[in-house]
Amino acid sequence: MSQTQQTPLTYARITEDVVRMVDKPSKKWWALFLPTVALVGLGATCFFYQVATGLGVAGYRHPVFWGVYITDFVFWVGIAHSGTLISAILYLFRARFRMSIYRIAEAMTVFAVLTAGLFPIIHLGRPWNFLWLIPYPNSRELWINFKSPLVWDVFAVSTYLTVSSLFFVIGMIPDIAAIRDKVKEVPRKIIYSVLSFGWKGSNREWLHYTRAYLYFAALATPLVLSVHSVVSWDFAMGNVPGWHTTIFPPYFVAGAIFSGLAMVITLTIPIRKIFHLEDYITLDNYDGMAKLIILTSCIVGYAYAAEFFMAWYSGSPYEWGQFVYRATGEYALFYWTMVICNCVVPISLWWEKVRKNIKALFVISILINIGMWFERFNIIVISLSRDFEPGAWGIYKISFVEAGITIGSFAWFFMFFLLFVKTLPAVSIAEMKEILPVPKKGG
Amino acid sequence: MSGKENKGKNGMKRRDFLKVLGVAGGTAAVAGSCSEPVEQIIPYVIPPENVIPGVPKFYATTCRECSSGCGLVVKNREGRAIKVEGNPENPINKGKTCAMGQASLQGLYNPDRVRSPLRYNTETQRLEPIGWDRGEEILAEKLNSLGSGKIVYLSNNVSGTYSKFVAEFLRPLGGKHYVYETFSHEPIRKANSIVFGRDEIPSYRIDKADYLLSFGADYLETWLSAVSNSIGYSKLRDIDHGKTGQVVHIEPRSGMTASNADTWVAAKPGTEQYLALGIANVMISKGLNRVAPGPVAGMVSSYTPKKVAALTDVSADTIEKIARDFATSKSLAIGGGAANTGSNATETMVAVNILNYLAGNIGKTVDFSDPLSISDASTFGDMKELVEEMRSGRVEILIVHNVNPVFTLPGELKVAEALEKVPFVLSLSSFLDETSEKAHLVLPESTSFESWGDYSPKKSVTGITQPVMRPVFNTKSAGDTLISVSKNVEALKNTFAEKKYYDYLRSAWKKRAEILSPGTSFEKFWEKLLVKGSVTATPAPVNVALSSRASSVSFRDPQFRGEGDFHLIAYPSHRFLDGRGANKPWLQELPDALTTSVWDSWLEINSAVAAKMGLEDGSYVKVDTPGGSFEVQVFVYEGIRPDTIAIPIGQGHTSYGRYAKGRGVNPFALLPAATDTLSGGPSLLSTKANVSSLRKRDLLVRTQYTKSQGDRHVAKTVALDQIGHHNGAHGADHSKHPDFYPEKEYSKYRWGMAIDLNKCTGCGACVTACSAENNIPFVGKKQIAKRREMNWIRIERFFEKNSDGSLDVRFLPMLCQQCGNAPCEPVCPVFATYHNHEGLNGMIYNRCVGTRYCANNCTYKVRRFNWYTYKFPEPLNWQLNPDVTVRSKGVMEKCTFCVQRINHGKDLAKDEGRLLHDREVLTACEQACPSDAIVFGNLLDDKSEASVLSEDDRGYKVLEVVNTKPAITYLKKVKQERV
Repeated sequence: MSQTQQTPLTYARITEDVVRMVDKPSKKWWALFLPTVALVGLGATCFFYQVATGLGVAGYRHPVFWGVYITDFVFWVGIAHSGTLISAILYLFRARFRMSIYRIAEAMTVFAVLTAGLFPIIHLGRPWNFLWLIPYPNSRELWINFKSPLVWDVFAVSTYLTVSSLFFVIGMIPDIAAIRDKVKEVPRKIIYSVLSFGWKGSNREWLHYTRAYLYFAALATPLVLSVHSVVSWDFAMGNVPGWHTTIFPPYFVAGAIFSGLAMVITLTIPIRKIFHLEDYITLDNYDGMAKLIILTSCIVGYAYAAEFFMAWYSGSPYEWGQFVYRATGEYALFYWTMVICNCVVPISLWWEKVRKNIKALFVISILINIGMWFERFNIIVISLSRDFEPGAWGIYKISFVEAGITIGSFAWFFMFFLLFVKTLPAVSIAEMKEILPVPKKGG
Repeated sequence: MSGKENKGKNGMKRRDFLKVLGVAGGTAAVAGSCSEPVEQIIPYVIPPENVIPGVPKFYATTCRECSSGCGLVVKNREGRAIKVEGNPENPINKGKTCAMGQASLQGLYNPDRVRSPLRYNTETQRLEPIGWDRGEEILAEKLNSLGSGKIVYLSNNVSGTYSKFVAEFLRPLGGKHYVYETFSHEPIRKANSIVFGRDEIPSYRIDKADYLLSFGADYLETWLSAVSNSIGYSKLRDIDHGKTGQVVHIEPRSGMTASNADTWVAAKPGTEQYLALGIANVMISKGLNRVAPGPVAGMVSSYTPKKVAALTDVSADTIEKIARDFATSKSLAIGGGAANTGSNATETMVAVNILNYLAGNIGKTVDFSDPLSISDASTFGDMKELVEEMRSGRVEILIVHNVNPVFTLPGELKVAEALEKVPFVLSLSSFLDETSEKAHLVLPESTSFESWGDYSPKKSVTGITQPVMRPVFNTKSAGDTLISVSKNVEALKNTFAEKKYYDYLRSAWKKRAEILSPGTSFEKFWEKLLVKGSVTATPAPVNVALSSRASSVSFRDPQFRGEGDFHLIAYPSHRFLDGRGANKPWLQELPDALTTSVWDSWLEINSAVAAKMGLEDGSYVKVDTPGGSFEVQVFVYEGIRPDTIAIPIGQGHTSYGRYAKGRGVNPFALLPAATDTLSGGPSLLSTKANVSSLRKRDLLVRTQYTKSQGDRHVAKTVALDQIGHHNGAHGADHSKHPDFYPEKEYSKYRWGMAIDLNKCTGCGACVTACSAENNIPFVGKKQIAKRREMNWIRIERFFEKNSDGSLDVRFLPMLCQQCGNAPCEPVCPVFATYHNHEGLNGMIYNRCVGTRYCANNCTYKVRRFNWYTYKFPEPLNWQLNPDVTVRSKGVMEKCTFCVQRINHGKDLAKDEGRLLHDREVLTACEQACPSDAIVFGNLLDDKSEASVLSEDDRGYKVLEVVNTKPAITYLKKVKQERV
């Protein structure tokens, strides 16, 4: 580490450092990777057990028909968001602090959507029929119900997966070409050659590439807002007290960015440490992200307060009953966990010292992730536990299968991430070089 | 792949290869896929005559689940009985049924029925299957070698031809027939004998009364005939026809019946007699009596309201008010129930009789001309004697038929021990219950659904029982068994000329036919009888006068065993009666009306006492009685006196099949053999008990954990004097809410329903009827603990407070409201749920992928999800209605107003080129509802009953504010001026 700090960043060193990251996996990497695969296996086993026996093995119970799976779905879609935010929106705004982290954020987006996309299928009563949610011409003359927010969801998530994957792949072309030029072993050389689409680094190529990148950024930008708005409509379009509210789209988007930034911090801190990327991912970068977290935390906090206010102001006993119940009922612990993690803990970020303290940031980011998971859980489960009909009220309890699948989903995400850092350029070589001062002749 | 041409030199041909590929691939796809298992359909090789597949047959018969003797019509499809309905022609139940009746086919198809004769093997010490021939041979041997000991035939109430048959069977053998009904209401008989000189139970005409004063009689649950009482109750509550009947219930706990009363009076346990005497005292002293008191005046003169108030814990004002109302209306006083089985039960009934006498009710609402056949049952005293005789070895052969004395007689009698002293016990029961299990020989009887017979529940009615299908198992009717055996018994050789009980029955009816319809041929009479199901007669009125013995009664304080703090009431359950219903999973899964508890026992304890003892719902307590102790979970209840605890009867079986065995506690086992002093009736309120907390708590499994509806106002009431003031009914008119989508249009029908909360008693008959009609599975206690019960209709129960602070229990049947603006419909991504052109909220199971959004979005939470593929163990699945899809895991299901019935009705109407008539199609819940609270019909027809009721001033829609435009209108429960 001391060595890297001594030598200043140069074009050559950037390439070397990034190529070193995709080197042969170390024992440490295997020690991280194999457990994730095992846990994915656990999740898969739980899922197949659930398919074979029935959804009863999950913790669902009347009247809570959605639980941890939908919580996980919204959580992972939320995580996905800040990836696009960092890579697309901040790109358009020319925010320099994104350069070092955007690749990691983008990878996170793709893997988070990959994870999120599983949950609507996992949660189905008959997952083998999930294709029926897709409008395709069929001999049974069946069609889908475009009034249903769940159909919108199918479109939103699949569009998002497509666009973010394309953006991710295109953004990596020059970097992969750089790795291609460095690696010698045949199979890797071939793979990187294919993925670099024959990139030669000519002026003409750069011209088209930067244009294309800009357009993709512009195309992806509205998705940041729309996808999570659509996800929020899954709830807002329902009539359940605690769901049926117009504040949901901005509230969900802010929450998504909030949790996504926290996840970026959670992911980059160990990578930075392990791969000695302190010169690339600087404290200033974290400072910028932390400031965004403050902003989104305030929006989320405002939304929590607004929900309470509107519930009271509406005069509806159902709405008010729901919010009093959230804060004081059987799930009060979850509610206050959420408030503390999402509104109280981020207050510490108002101090620059905290923003630039890696250990503190790591802890805070994990707390925010926990808080945001519970936010989704609270919205979904507490609202359903107590809606209009008092005779039907009941409490949801998570089952081991749901816990297994949730753990499996985290493992699934990290498994892809670990593969990513070992095989693809985790830091953008091209963009890092852009921010270096132009070297003097012979320097 | 057969055929010689295939075995060419080229080996496998292309076509064969494809065949193999197809078969192998198909098999792999079937085996590996997650979809439903492939079932084989076996066609009729030779179709039976008169059976048209898809067209049901109906057989009239008589329900034998309890002694009420309701008439039934059993629907048979392709040779299997699939549903029972009340027989509208029967004067007792008038087409209605209770939950026990609705579940009765689960007795017929019970997987734990005795499937063939069993003999006790002394070596293996187990009952082992033998053939019928051998079984009958053994019995004949035993009967032939009958020594000096007695032969006793112990059965339930079989009044009718069978009791004569048993008498004929026993006469040559010198045997005795005991008719044992756990609840045979001896105090009523005895008191009638004392006061009126009539040792019988009259017909109580609740339907003719305007003021019903019940001293503990749980007439809506188990007392005499719950269905017939509920019909009467419904008449009394028929506010739309100008009836504003009042109901006052006196009992230490507010059971289902008390909870439906306008006023619940929580008198001190065992002091009901004083209350009745106090009321009589006021009537006489105020000159309100319609009949001269005669000697009665002297009996009641000392019971002034003030004195009675001190004795009973009921204020003098209340006593005076009751007396005034009782005396000035068409009244009826009834008594009985568990609370009135103390040592002074007969005295209480004497006092009740005095009230009826003074109010001039005899001959009007108390009808001695039509006594119940249960009057002829053996008394508890007789049973005690029998047990003693068994113990002393004087009973040589005991034939047990459809009764379970080991379970239902008090533990102190130690019936099981006494039974061991009997050299030969024959059981003719269909089930291996606690008694049959101890038999030496079991010759299983075909159930009443599989055999011929008749039953006369009261003087005016005799119902016929006919087989509604062939026996499910290798069983025979008891009559057939006994006739067949008699041919090989020396003493009985010439007793029966007939070969079959059917012939015996017909010859008995031949004699009756000559009297009932002289001139017509017997075959015609018989055919008519089988179609109608019963014969009725109008009994001649009788004159009843006060007996001179009446004044001889002296009123004593009740006696209690033990020194505990609480009076223990063991009360019969409206689901299991004395425990006989416990082997039917639908009844186990039917939530108890008040606690909504399922599959278990509980102890009701007063909330203030519970708070003091640190008990909550589900806390375990130990109840110590002189007869032993038991551990049970508590249900904290405002509707029970602080000095009383109560436990339902019915659970705690140690045998009786998989559904009954090992659940809860059997309070009979702890009860002393105490009796009512005068009548010798059993005493269910005779013990004092201590309760101690065990300091552990677990979920008391229920279907509803909310006790009060809080600010939700889903179950509404209206004061009597506010009706017609148009307040609130349609006051908050949400129908003018703007809608995003255009109004739905219906052409011929808009199906709707009106549910009168003033009539609904919370009995749950609709719930079980719905299960039976719609193939709704039972899921078991563990799943219900996770709130996964599958019932499409549930009875919500709310404990509210009246303005004076007293308990106000409200019942609200909740089922799919078939909303005009249904929240479930737009959220389904695949159109699995949709709005049909008749306003029904359709559900296509095949299309459902199981997103469950519809259930989340359902305002009424009436959708049920198949968390697993629930199975009906063979042969319970024989009952499945072929007109209704059996659902498998992963799909949503719900009520569709019995759409299969609507479609069937429409088919018939279409054949005649007309629309359906009003109430031509009845939903299963409506059809069963004993109090006629549910009315289904076409809302587009202004004249349909449902339409008219929907416009009723008491009408409201539940959660109208959500703008779901429900098709169900609830009629508010009417609150009368309180005592």
